Amino acid sequence: MKRKTLLCLSLVAMMMTGCADQMYIEDVTLSLILGLDLDEDGNLLVFMSSPVFNKEAKVKEEKVEVKAVSIRDSRELFDTTVMALTSGSKTQLLLVGKKLLKQKNWIDYIDPFYRDPKNTVTTRVVAVDGPVSDVIFFRPKDKPRLPLYLANLVDTAYRRNVTIKTTLQEFHEQTTEKGITASITELKKDHKIMLTGTALLDEQSKYKLSITPNENKLLRILQHKTKGDFPFTISVPLDSNGHDHWISFSTPRIKVKTRVRYDNHFIFDTDVKMRVAITERLFPFNVRSDAAKLQKSMEKKMQTDFERLIKKTQTKGIDPYGFGIYARAYKYPEWIKVQNQWGKAFAKADVNVKVHVTISGMGTIK
Amino acid sequence: MKKYAYNEITLMQYIFLINGTQVGTGVLSLPRILAEKAGSDGWIAIIIGWLSSVAASIFLVKTGAKYPEDTLYEILIRFFGKILGKALISVYIVYFAFYAWTILVNACLYIKAWFLPKTPDYIILLLFSIPTFFVARNGLRVLGRYSELSFYMVIWIPLFFLIPLKDGNWLHFLPLLKEGWRPVLSAVPTTVFSFLGFEVAFFLYPFLQKKQHAVLGITIANTLTMLFYLFVTVVCFAYFSPDGIIEFNQPVLNLLKLIEFRFLERFDMVLLAVYLIVVSTAWIPCVFFAAFCSSQLLGKQDHSNYVIILLLIIIGVVFWLDPTWIDSEGWQKKVVKGGLLLAFVAPPFLWVYSWIYEKFRRRVSH
Repeated sequence: MKRKTLLCLSLVAMMMTGCADQMYIEDVTLSLILGLDLDEDGNLLVFMSSPVFNKEAKVKEEKVEVKAVSIRDSRELFDTTVMALTSGSKTQLLLVGKKLLKQKNWIDYIDPFYRDPKNTVTTRVVAVDGPVSDVIFFRPKDKPRLPLYLANLVDTAYRRNVTIKTTLQEFHEQTTEKGITASITELKKDHKIMLTGTALLDEQSKYKLSITPNENKLLRILQHKTKGDFPFTISVPLDSNGHDHWISFSTPRIKVKTRVRYDNHFIFDTDVKMRVAITERLFPFNVRSDAAKLQKSMEKKMQTDFERLIKKTQTKGIDPYGFGIYARAYKYPEWIKVQNQWGKAFAKADVNVKVHVTISGMGTIK
Repeated sequence: MKKYAYNEITLMQYIFLINGTQVGTGVLSLPRILAEKAGSDGWIAIIIGWLSSVAASIFLVKTGAKYPEDTLYEILIRFFGKILGKALISVYIVYFAFYAWTILVNACLYIKAWFLPKTPDYIILLLFSIPTFFVARNGLRVLGRYSELSFYMVIWIPLFFLIPLKDGNWLHFLPLLKEGWRPVLSAVPTTVFSFLGFEVAFFLYPFLQKKQHAVLGITIANTLTMLFYLFVTVVCFAYFSPDGIIEFNQPVLNLLKLIEFRFLERFDMVLLAVYLIVVSTAWIPCVFFAAFCSSQLLGKQDHSNYVIILLLIIIGVVFWLDPTWIDSEGWQKKVVKGGLLLAFVAPPFLWVYSWIYEKFRRRVSH
């Protein structure tokens, strides 16, 4: 008897806590996209896109723009206009305007994502080339609502390594880790939304450089992140008369190895071993007998591409590849001296990329 | 005749009781504290901490083995006489009660921050108290069964840590002993304290069925705890960069936050709710032993009233104080100081004392 009453009491107690804290989905405005940008006068603008759970609403998406001092402050302002209470617990994308990205200390604004345990950190961080408002207020007819469209766009593009996908958590890693600089997805809206590649930030997380989808693949390889597809279409230098020889291939397996040496400056030797399967060839060539020649020219072309990309980042003093992590792991005494100006030290470093291509298949025709 | 014949516990129950008391909320912040003190070498300190806790445990069991029918209460009275012995056992009562208090408050703060922000503290503690009372009012056998069952129920938790591990970078660990042994040694005190809880074995020994395995049992319990701590720390260190991990108060929860399935987000919340079972196996033995010692001290057979009194006091004090995170950390530091004396200094001291005591007594009796 005593036990039964106690059981009942505990059950009631458990139910009661639920009563006090309930929240209906209609009473929540989920900010699925949060946008940050600066207006002409340098004031922070915060944008939000959220789904509307209501039968009577014609458009099932709310989009708001406010002028605020911080993200958390913007929430109070959103609450004054949107239908329900704003919540950041399901944010899918964080769009950051390039204007803001070029500011110092802009990452201070994203503090609430890390601080408030209710917020999620798997939000994708995306740089917007141009005003964020153009993207947020865009309503394409042939696409689902914007948050779903953009999230899917980033996820699938990332699988083919068209762009990088950086979640807020990874972004935190990249900005705090001294041996790597951050890289985030970049998109642009002209008449439609397009992923333009990857935006590279420096040690202070300021915008420095944009790279194309093709260069992004090379970036991923140098980061030793060889998951997903790496389809390439390159023009190989087969003969000296300067004709374009376009060839496409997929790379079922890529192996990357980096070694570090130190000789007054850091020297990185990176070996990239690729097994490629030819998927397209726009010139006559006998792969069966002259495979070695084709491999050599592909290696040459890839190598110059790698070198060009590395030079580009070195002149900007950024290391999105994480070579600094290798420097720390293998050359710690030298690393400790330069760890706070790794960008500068990396600019002086030699990076030797060696590409080895093995043609594993030419396809079903000769 | 055996005094505790109806409450004998098996070796497994013995192991899981000790292990359960050791593993509480501490592990959630352990990787951060280790990283602050010793960088990525912090995990080595766990092994050193484990060695010292095993050493203290063996002294503890060896002391108990001299008086196989006695709990610490009878041993202390035998050694130091009635007044001093009772005074000393009161110290243990206060220690266990305070230990239970800090764990309960800490668990309550986690629950409040993650799930029930608007529920008052005392209601959460009231909810904790109900199952605590049901388990702790019974004898040690029920307690042992509870700990064993809980262990089997939560044994799957470590599997989920393997999911973020695939994005980990083992280069974070290199070079080993970056700054030499000194930072590692400075982290040892922290890890030593995270093994606190094995001192309950002082009271378990007379209840154990197969006393010949007592040393083995306590070593296994310590080793299980060590393996869990080591595993969690290594996963955190592999995932988070050495510079990034120190910014998170509870890196373990941040790690779990990243786990997402198509049908489930915010896995940290699910896991924290389940982890409460693990934490309960830490506070329930403390509540039990505080009540059990009080009943022995006051010469009462039944200790269940003391469980109620203790829990009511805890709820009352929480109602009155409304503890904050900073309070909670301060109390933990106090517990750790007490634990150093009662768990790490007392066993070797008692062992030496018992040795002298026996010699002296034999000489007198001859």
